Amino acid sequence: MQRFNFPVVQPDPALEELRADLQAFLMAERDAGNFKPEPECWMASADPEFSKKMGKRGWIGLTWSSQYGGHDKSALERYIVTEETLRAGAPVGAHWIADRQHAPMLIAHGSEAQKLDILPRIAAGECYFAIGLSEPGAGSDLTNVKTSAEKVNDGWKINGQKVWSSGAHISHYMVALLRTSPADGRNRHVGLSQIMIDLSLPGVTIKPIVDLSGDAHFNEVYFEDVIVPEDCLLGDEGGGWAQVTGELAMERSGPERFLSSYITLETALRQLSGKMGSDSHARLGKLIANLRTLKGMSWAIANLLDQGVSPETEAALVKDLGNRLENDLTLQVRALLNDLPSEDWSPDMRRIMNIGVLRSPPNTLRGGTTEVMRGITARQLGLR
Amino acid sequence: MINTEGMVAETASKIYTDLCGREVPHQAEAGEYPQALWDALQENGLPLAWVGEANGGFGADYDETFGAIWASAQAASPVPFAETLIANWMLDRAGLAPADGTASFALSGHTPSADIPFGMHAAKIVLFDEAHQEISLFDNRLAVRSAEEALSPDGMTQFIFSGHLAEQSAKTSLSRRSVEALILTVRAVQMAAAMETALNLSIDYVCQREQFGRPLSKFQAIQQQLAVAASECAAATMAATQAASAIARHADDPEQAWHEAVIAKVQIGHSVEAVTVPFHQVHGAMGYTQEYDLHHYTRRLWAWRDALGNEYHWSKRLGEELSRQSPDQIWKGVTTGDWVAS
Repeated sequence: MQRFNFPVVQPDPALEELRADLQAFLMAERDAGNFKPEPECWMASADPEFSKKMGKRGWIGLTWSSQYGGHDKSALERYIVTEETLRAGAPVGAHWIADRQHAPMLIAHGSEAQKLDILPRIAAGECYFAIGLSEPGAGSDLTNVKTSAEKVNDGWKINGQKVWSSGAHISHYMVALLRTSPADGRNRHVGLSQIMIDLSLPGVTIKPIVDLSGDAHFNEVYFEDVIVPEDCLLGDEGGGWAQVTGELAMERSGPERFLSSYITLETALRQLSGKMGSDSHARLGKLIANLRTLKGMSWAIANLLDQGVSPETEAALVKDLGNRLENDLTLQVRALLNDLPSEDWSPDMRRIMNIGVLRSPPNTLRGGTTEVMRGITARQLGLR
Repeated sequence: MINTEGMVAETASKIYTDLCGREVPHQAEAGEYPQALWDALQENGLPLAWVGEANGGFGADYDETFGAIWASAQAASPVPFAETLIANWMLDRAGLAPADGTASFALSGHTPSADIPFGMHAAKIVLFDEAHQEISLFDNRLAVRSAEEALSPDGMTQFIFSGHLAEQSAKTSLSRRSVEALILTVRAVQMAAAMETALNLSIDYVCQREQFGRPLSKFQAIQQQLAVAASECAAATMAATQAASAIARHADDPEQAWHEAVIAKVQIGHSVEAVTVPFHQVHGAMGYTQEYDLHHYTRRLWAWRDALGNEYHWSKRLGEELSRQSPDQIWKGVTTGDWVAS
């Protein structure tokens, strides 16, 4: 009996055709100057025009039914698309979260009218979503959310504040975890619900938060007596906690957890074009071994998810390993370049390295901090 | 996951469960060789799993034989099962009959003398001589028994080839990379199994051992250490699985599995420190005793990470090879496991 479930997946030639199409498109877009490659592009590089191009080619909404504007493909095809766009450092940040997370949520819990209205727009790369989990008093301790939704005649009345909402300033909707009834004494997991909020409604105020690099891709979002229709409750009233933890578990093992900085390595390889000393060979060999192993783990989980299995332990492990690798990768790439003074780096190398360093701190925070992830693993090992 | 289904894996697993309980590795180190364990493996033909039918074996799938190796490493096998499998595979690939008992192996890069894994208990030594494209069989009674400190009980004895006549020799079409790919993959599977077993021991220990009025497992500092170690163990399982799968996929030309095998060596070799340190740390002084089981696994991990060159050696070889490749070729390898040789 083995503890960890990572099945071997045999190669599928059809997926490689899709990969080749993606590569051709991305290279053409980059060479035409339509984007500059960046690390952490899925979080911090948003370009609605680029998202619409992806949508036109059928590369958003791959996994859902054509009845809702999707493309009836598997999660594995979606994986190839995400992997290739990360490698290219393409500006996919606008549609990423809606495609990954909120469309599947709507398919599971939305009304027929919502699905018909919203899903085709997401697939077209025209409709974006923000995550509404953290609050000033609720970060890792997510059960402490205070923003409330109160039942009123024509739906739900929302009051409170969310924070660190990436992309909220360009998003059309937020799915927020809200308190719909008081906590039951010390059991604070009850009384939480997920509600979809149209961010154009009166009473919604979005204020940018400038990060340490000067970018403003995340936001504070305030709600003052915002009224949303009744059917904006997604899933069960009071069932929000279980829904959120289930979602988080599943988004933790994707390629964005370990390939977001790959562009930095590839740029360095192009810059060095084979001219490396033996210490650099050793660094490169180890990095590639780590990347290949994580790809195997992440891909095995994607295949299990596609078969309806939810390997939560393995997903948490991938996030921890992947985050550590991403931060190590930037460091190792700097070492690979040790024979070349940074003054001699190409402008692309310098730009990408600097962005990579500046965007590295949130890697081990978003989607569950390293400490929280290790706590989850410890629980699953039977230690707590 | 290493495939543990199929006749070879299931038979080996049963034999190890029945005949290699936790006391057996202790007894073996005290000088009581578990002959019954070896006899059972041999009677069931398991050391011949990778020998073709023409040479008296049963040409089992690579895949399920890796499951048998996993079972042997979980039990801290005191008999050279994996080594004999490799030695017989080399003989078979030169058209030679398999050894009639225990065997181990050496690669010509290390001659005229070579350190032989499990040299104490292998009756025969199979040498892969790259320069002459030859496989030769030697009698291990000619080996120099070294009294030097070995990392693990299945450690090395030195064999001096020059001056000794091979019992048999034959040409082989095996490339050095094919031999490396198989040996590295076998070691990767053993190491992943040993890591997981040592993780299980550590989890059991911290759940039972109480200090400051509560089990060690309730301390966050302990939980976080073991969570990190678990992630390394999971990665080791994955790396071993990918290498084993590449060998199985390229059964006719194991050289094609070289990159995935080297990756497993590098990944797992670098993880050894990251797991053995916390495993020993959470066990306290108990883990440092001969009486307790942990060292059966940690000592083997320390020995296996050195075998056939350590993880730094292989990181360098892999990186050197990749430095000659285009970014597109490297990306294809990382994402699909489809590597080109350069």
